Amino acid sequence: MSTLNDLQLDALRELANIGSGTASTALSSMLGRAVDISVPTAQALPFADAVDAVGPAEKLVTGVVIGVVGDMEATVLLLLGERDAATLCGLLGVDPDDELAPSALGEIGNIVGASYINALGAMTGLEMEPEPPQSATDMLGAIVASVLAGRAAGDDIALVLDSDLKVEGEDCAISFLLVPTAGGVQELLTRLGLGD
Amino acid sequence: MAAETMVRMGEFACSAVAGQVLVSLGLGSCIGLALLDKRAAVAGLAHVVLPAAEGRTGSPGKFADTAVEALIAELVGLGARRIALEAVLVGGASMFKLGGGSGMEVGQRNDEAVRAELARLRIPVAATDTGGSRGRTIRVTVGSQAVTSRAAGDQEVALYPRIPAGVAA
Repeated sequence: MSTLNDLQLDALRELANIGSGTASTALSSMLGRAVDISVPTAQALPFADAVDAVGPAEKLVTGVVIGVVGDMEATVLLLLGERDAATLCGLLGVDPDDELAPSALGEIGNIVGASYINALGAMTGLEMEPEPPQSATDMLGAIVASVLAGRAAGDDIALVLDSDLKVEGEDCAISFLLVPTAGGVQELLTRLGLGD
Repeated sequence: MAAETMVRMGEFACSAVAGQVLVSLGLGSCIGLALLDKRAAVAGLAHVVLPAAEGRTGSPGKFADTAVEALIAELVGLGARRIALEAVLVGGASMFKLGGGSGMEVGQRNDEAVRAELARLRIPVAATDTGGSRGRTIRVTVGSQAVTSRAAGDQEVALYPRIPAGVAA
């Protein structure tokens, strides 16, 4: 997967667009608020550049990681800044400092991530099963690098599909990353009729 | 403040310029491996991602089984004495359990692979801040040969050089 052409990246971006559209609907019905989505970006980048592309490495964020198993292996990563996490907890009626806060955020990740994954599965006809979510609040670089090292281990290039969900009327955004394994990317492209 | 040289995932850098700072930000399961000459102002830093290359290509800094030798070669080229080299390890955290329970976590395997390679090449490990579940940043200052580690949301901690007992600062 060392090279993806523009057509392939466009197709992957469109997949991410539909996936995050479905995810925003799930988040919206959970919060009872409108949720806007940004146009996703699709980039195939060397590891080091992929980490830089996501944001400042030492920024403290909450990451919710959902493994995807089945026909396509991937990791879905939701990233929330400290303030975004606190706002989201508030909308759910949970104190951000409460010990329940991480599991509440994990549950949001679970629902939003699973709807994203299900949308991708429905579109491509691939069997995809989400694993239970895990969350951690830590340095952005450490979270993203650990996901890349754990998943995209076989390759020097990581495909990063990035979209943002924004809760209307609140200063709250969730960044959404899909990091497939190299084999997973080929599988996706093959199903879209764009395989090598 | 002197400019900091970023050593990103899979990269490595060495320097004999006093005052230069080598940094790896946000180490998760990766290992920041610093090699320092304990008598001369030469130091290097590798940002190790995986335990073994296993035939994969990539920067030598990326894999434990290629990073140590690459650092030694460049440091010796800059005037370091191989026998005076000491190692400091930071990182190797287990932040998430990924990969379907295939045994040990990447962070722990990285830690062990780097230590094994250092032992094979007879480089003593002077200090470590590895394991656990938190991300860290490593800073190496050439000249003072100071190595620090900072975990997310914490203060910076000095790891090296060790102050010999009975010597006033």
